[in-house]
Amino acid sequence: MALDYRKCAEELVPLLGGKENLISAAHCATRLRLVVADNSKIDQKAIENVEGVKGTFQSNGQFQIIIGTGTTFQSNGQFQIIIGTGTVNKVYDEFLAVTGLTAASKDDVKAAAAAKAPVWRRMLKTVGDVFVPILPAIVASGLMMGIVEALGHAIPGFSDSDWYGFLDLVSNTAFTFLPVIVAISAARVFGGNLFLGAVIGLMMVHPSLTNGWNAADGYDVWYLFGHGLKIGSYTFGQVNQLGYQGHVIPVIIAVYFMSKLEKWLHKHVPEIIDLFVTPLTTVFVTALLTFMIIGPIFSTAETYVLTGAKWLITAGYGIGAAAMGAIYPITVVMGLHHMYNVIEAGMLAEGGLNIWMPLASAANFAQFGACLAVGVKTKNAKRRSVAIPSALSASLGITEPAIFGVNLRLYKPFVFGMIGGAVGALFGSLSGLGATAYGVTGIPGLLTIDNIPVYLVLLAISGGIAFALTFFFWHEDPEDNDKYLEEKAANEEKALKEEAEHAPVIISSSAGKIYAPVSGKIVPYTEIPDATFAAGTLGEGVGIEPDTEIILAPYDGTISSVAETKHAIGITGENDQEVLIHVGIDTVQMNGDGFTPLVKEDDQVKKGQPILRFSKEKIAKAGHSDMVCVLLTNSDDYEDVKIGADAE
Amino acid sequence: MKEFTYTITDPVGIHARPAGLLTKEVKKYASTFTLTKGDKSADMSKLMKLMSLGVVQGDTVTIKVEGPDEETAAAAVEQFMKDNF
Repeated sequence: MALDYRKCAEELVPLLGGKENLISAAHCATRLRLVVADNSKIDQKAIENVEGVKGTFQSNGQFQIIIGTGTTFQSNGQFQIIIGTGTVNKVYDEFLAVTGLTAASKDDVKAAAAAKAPVWRRMLKTVGDVFVPILPAIVASGLMMGIVEALGHAIPGFSDSDWYGFLDLVSNTAFTFLPVIVAISAARVFGGNLFLGAVIGLMMVHPSLTNGWNAADGYDVWYLFGHGLKIGSYTFGQVNQLGYQGHVIPVIIAVYFMSKLEKWLHKHVPEIIDLFVTPLTTVFVTALLTFMIIGPIFSTAETYVLTGAKWLITAGYGIGAAAMGAIYPITVVMGLHHMYNVIEAGMLAEGGLNIWMPLASAANFAQFGACLAVGVKTKNAKRRSVAIPSALSASLGITEPAIFGVNLRLYKPFVFGMIGGAVGALFGSLSGLGATAYGVTGIPGLLTIDNIPVYLVLLAISGGIAFALTFFFWHEDPEDNDKYLEEKAANEEKALKEEAEHAPVIISSSAGKIYAPVSGKIVPYTEIPDATFAAGTLGEGVGIEPDTEIILAPYDGTISSVAETKHAIGITGENDQEVLIHVGIDTVQMNGDGFTPLVKEDDQVKKGQPILRFSKEKIAKAGHSDMVCVLLTNSDDYEDVKIGADAE
Repeated sequence: MKEFTYTITDPVGIHARPAGLLTKEVKKYASTFTLTKGDKSADMSKLMKLMSLGVVQGDTVTIKVEGPDEETAAAAVEQFMKDNF
């Protein structure tokens, strides 16, 4: 039975809170993707009952409606992805007609949704983006550290052996210099110079500074501007000679600032002195701000956390312990956990048991549970390959890979880990567990704990709760699903092929035909919104308002030039035709950001072959038109040049 | 044959638009123009060739002019470059 598209669209609009509630709409193969002003106005149940709607879900600030006729491919069992094709676009057209919205590309909708996502979600995503590329380094280190530390506790005398010393060096390198790795990755994410990023990272763990882990033993302070200006205990110009070992957030903040400053300077410093002025100023100013402002803030916060933690664990009936078990991973994220070993050492020095260790262990093991659940549940092979080793490392007490690489990024598993940690810590406190040493948690903790069976129960509770909650209540964004991604890639490839096959001739002459390198509305060069192009200074041709973000070769030929700023490509074809494809107007100012050439000079290309990817979003952000100018630069050499969509 | 050198001060260098203006300018004359940057050179009436040299701000280029009107052509193009680059 054919679906009544108009009826479907008309029924949907009021259930979505009316026209006023809709910000933008787009569709993909199966889904109507909407950004709405107020999600609470959506009647999700009723929408799912509208004929033609197969399901709905919300993700990343978008409300998506899956539409399909549902008559075929039932055997697939899953979400009838393919069958929606040909249906959803018709419903979409009617939907636009009914609502009066204008068509938005998928990227526009994504951008609108991204802008709508709360700031803290965007910040978590950024931290994740910085952390994921460095995971191989820290997972390797984390696993090795866990094993080496366990061996040190398990085998008498091993911790004094040469082997231990050597293994310790190898395993903890990535963690000792973690700020350096984080800084380089952050520089890449924020578009700063990688080497300047490395300098900032290295500076933050410089051997002249007191190691961050030894902060409790005291450190020296420089007073750059004397003792004149005091705000409480903070003196203006005060630089704590304290390293940032184990820190993540201050490093990301510092490099974020550095990258912004560097880009600003590049823009404003005359090129002749740019090479020495910009890096020098960038490094100096970033260093000043980092050590004068970020450093004291975090040192002060750490002291408060220490005082707070000491107070919390003495609070009665295990309540304080539960709270500590919950917020422990947050202090790890903030890098405020350096002083905890002071608490542990203090307890042992007073002749008692280390009752801190069971709390930390519960918190850590819960992150393990949550991470493992992600690894088991995910349908994304790449995510699984990150989650499983990260979980292993976490079970040995090294939680950074699991927290930063997996749980925090997905946010819910992190919270479920906090819940598991709280319950585990409560149990640990009530059962009076304690350790006889400090330094290890998780499975290696078995070697230092005073009651192994009870400790195993603690691990089972914290890890189990976090695992179960994550397994049942964390739902992966279906777009991360392997099947979906593969399909998307296949669809894109198919679409490109089709686009290439159907590309119209836009310029023709006795020398040959030039096909449209991108689909979209075609205008003659005289209508390109730029005087030089419109005057034909660069030859005759057309402007295209691109629908997609990929440029295809307009004919068989040789790449004669790829602009250093990546936004323009020249191609020589048969009979010496010289075509220039210039993406966007004034986009030379973007300095290559947002453009990815897929070919290099002197490459042979075939008509329809992808040669350049570009980001419409970035061009729009930079405030330029994204019109693709296709110009036959030597059109003067031919007499019978025809241009336009019907040049053929 | 006439020859002169010029140092580019335009921040964009010889990119699409300015390059287009330059090719248009040299086509006004009967002489042939060759622009040399380092060990690469290009016929200045060929936009693609010119752009592929990747001339940027601060580069010093040498321009050779050869032909019947080389005297006036060289002077005019030198002035044109001073005005536009």
